[in-house]
Amino acid sequence: MTGQATLSPPEPPPAAAGESIAAESSDLGAPLYVAWQVTNECNLACLHCIEESGPGKAFRDELDEEQIFSILEQFMDHQIPYLSFSGGEPMVHPLFFKMVEYVCSRDGELKIETNGHFLTPDNCARLKALGVKAVQVSLDGATRPTFNRMRVRGEFNVAIDGVRNLHAAGVPIEINYSPTCFNVHEIGTAIDLAHELGAYSFYTGRTMYTGNAVKAWHKLALTEEQYVEFFATLHRKTEEYRGRMRVHFHEMGLLEELRYRVQHPAALLIVLPNGLVKLINALPFICGDLRRQSLMDIWANFQRAWKDPRVAQFIDDLATDPGKTSTLHQWVYV
Amino acid sequence: MRLSKYVKFREEKFGGVLFETRSEKVFTLNAVATAVVREINSGCDEDEVVKHLKERYEDRDGVVEREARAFVADLREKGLVQD
Repeated sequence: MTGQATLSPPEPPPAAAGESIAAESSDLGAPLYVAWQVTNECNLACLHCIEESGPGKAFRDELDEEQIFSILEQFMDHQIPYLSFSGGEPMVHPLFFKMVEYVCSRDGELKIETNGHFLTPDNCARLKALGVKAVQVSLDGATRPTFNRMRVRGEFNVAIDGVRNLHAAGVPIEINYSPTCFNVHEIGTAIDLAHELGAYSFYTGRTMYTGNAVKAWHKLALTEEQYVEFFATLHRKTEEYRGRMRVHFHEMGLLEELRYRVQHPAALLIVLPNGLVKLINALPFICGDLRRQSLMDIWANFQRAWKDPRVAQFIDDLATDPGKTSTLHQWVYV
Repeated sequence: MRLSKYVKFREEKFGGVLFETRSEKVFTLNAVATAVVREINSGCDEDEVVKHLKERYEDRDGVVEREARAFVADLREKGLVQD
């Protein structure tokens, strides 16, 4: 036996998936994380939705049951340790619980990202019994007026009740918060509320100029001065809740993040409702189609695609034209 | 001893990875560390892990035992295993 047994520490900056990645993705035999947008349908029509989800917004070619479970089987056969289901609103998908059951029964760690409007006591008990790792609820406000302004068709009290139901059922809770010019003043109280509701993690960062936010940007955009104050509050709250609740946030801008990612891609695949696979949510590039290609073929292409000159060019162009993020849904196949 | 609830292990060509899915941190393991985690995953306690590795690597000078125990201590400190 040669060499010490080592546990190499994670290194900054955080991966898009959440936190830290120590291994380069190219060294890995398969992704470590799959973020699956299971449908583009949603009961809400949020001002800032990067996916442009909403009522009647399901893709025409969303995966059918056979395709979904064939893909999930591949994921679990390749020991992808961590998946998330998002949307749209994942809980409106007719196969939602069947998909959750399958992943959990194959020992996958699964996070649900939801708007919290379907978290009835029964559904929360079911999620607990199935063994989901966590449920992340979007609470973009500490009060009803701000939340309801952001989450069109949404109801603050329903979402809050949903989080309370999760807590009562014993499901680990994460809260997600997107800042805007009209809710940024509530960030501190939103963090306090998350802790009061029993969350173990709170996530936030800069709101992206893409999807629905492009049309609503004049109602959403924060000034840099507001961001300075926002991040100052986050640093303060991080310390205040240290050891009790983790406050995660990405202070760096999108451009800085993408410049790092192009050199160090996270071991993360973004799966769209129709089975197309994106390099990363903040770029328009598609590196595979799970309806037609195996996971291993797509994983190999993922490594190649990050080196495609069009990817670097797009990121360089963002430096002079940040508005290019408005084209993220005009997919480019690489 | 076993891996903590939210920790997942996967073998790779270079060794393996541990993914702590609560904090979303990934730790890379070299071949020796992977062998330790494989033993933990099969239900061995610390002494059994050390015994098996000593046998496997013919540990005449005690290096394997020291490394394995140090690594297990590191795993405990990071909350990646529980007894």
